[in-house]
Amino acid sequence: MSRLDCDQALAHLQDYLKRELTPELVTEVRVHLEHCRDCTGYARFEESFLLMLETRAGQATCPKELRARILAALRAETRGN
Amino acid sequence: MAEPSAPGRSFDEEALPHLDTLYRVALRLTADPTLAEDLVQDTMLKAYRSWRQYRPGTNARGWLLTILRNTFINDYRRRKHEPVAMDLEAVEPHALYRSIQDTDPEGSFFSQIVDAKVLEAIDALPADFREVLALSDIEGMPYGEIAEALKIPVGTVKSRLFRARRQLQGVLYDHAVEAGYIKPRETAP
Repeated sequence: MSRLDCDQALAHLQDYLKRELTPELVTEVRVHLEHCRDCTGYARFEESFLLMLETRAGQATCPKELRARILAALRAETRGN
Repeated sequence: MAEPSAPGRSFDEEALPHLDTLYRVALRLTADPTLAEDLVQDTMLKAYRSWRQYRPGTNARGWLLTILRNTFINDYRRRKHEPVAMDLEAVEPHALYRSIQDTDPEGSFFSQIVDAKVLEAIDALPADFREVLALSDIEGMPYGEIAEALKIPVGTVKSRLFRARRQLQGVLYDHAVEAGYIKPRETAP
């Protein structure tokens, strides 16, 4: 199996963390990470950054008033036709 | 196609479940809660009016996001001064990590930054960047779906996402240094 060097592994890291790599490449990146402390540290950092984004910005939900307003507007639209 | 009485019902079933996603993306695109509400409402009305163009069984979320985005570009974008992209061409992917790896390798300083500051930093990204960041990192949409919704190649999705993250990390790092959550890297001579 071909081994990725650090630059190659890092080039795939974003796609690796997003689970957008082919299974073959996933294995290659994983093998590299298992053997490279530096890249593993960086991968952890990126992962915790992603988790932070999700938890900070992913919680908002459509306000009830807005939902009601939209439903009313849609109903009015239906009646208008 | 569907019988004339069907659209109302199928629209409710297919489109309404995506209101939360549309709202979150609108928040990040407009960077303004009031505008975000208007944008979501405009989007839903436009979607309803053109519901016949939606092909049942295809990706309703992507279809709605395309309308949201077009509406934003045509009617909302001009209302605000748009931030510009930083010049990141020369920035290495792990440049920031290099400055924290000895003191805070897991980036725990991020957790000290209050939500409002994080959101503010996202909203200060150029629209093209925060859009992709919102869809990928906040909504968890796959590259292919984002590319389709935004009508851009997958490669562009990836490069915008990469640059958006670098810029955002840089801004948050600067903030963390300023707030004293993390010590600045000793400046090179």
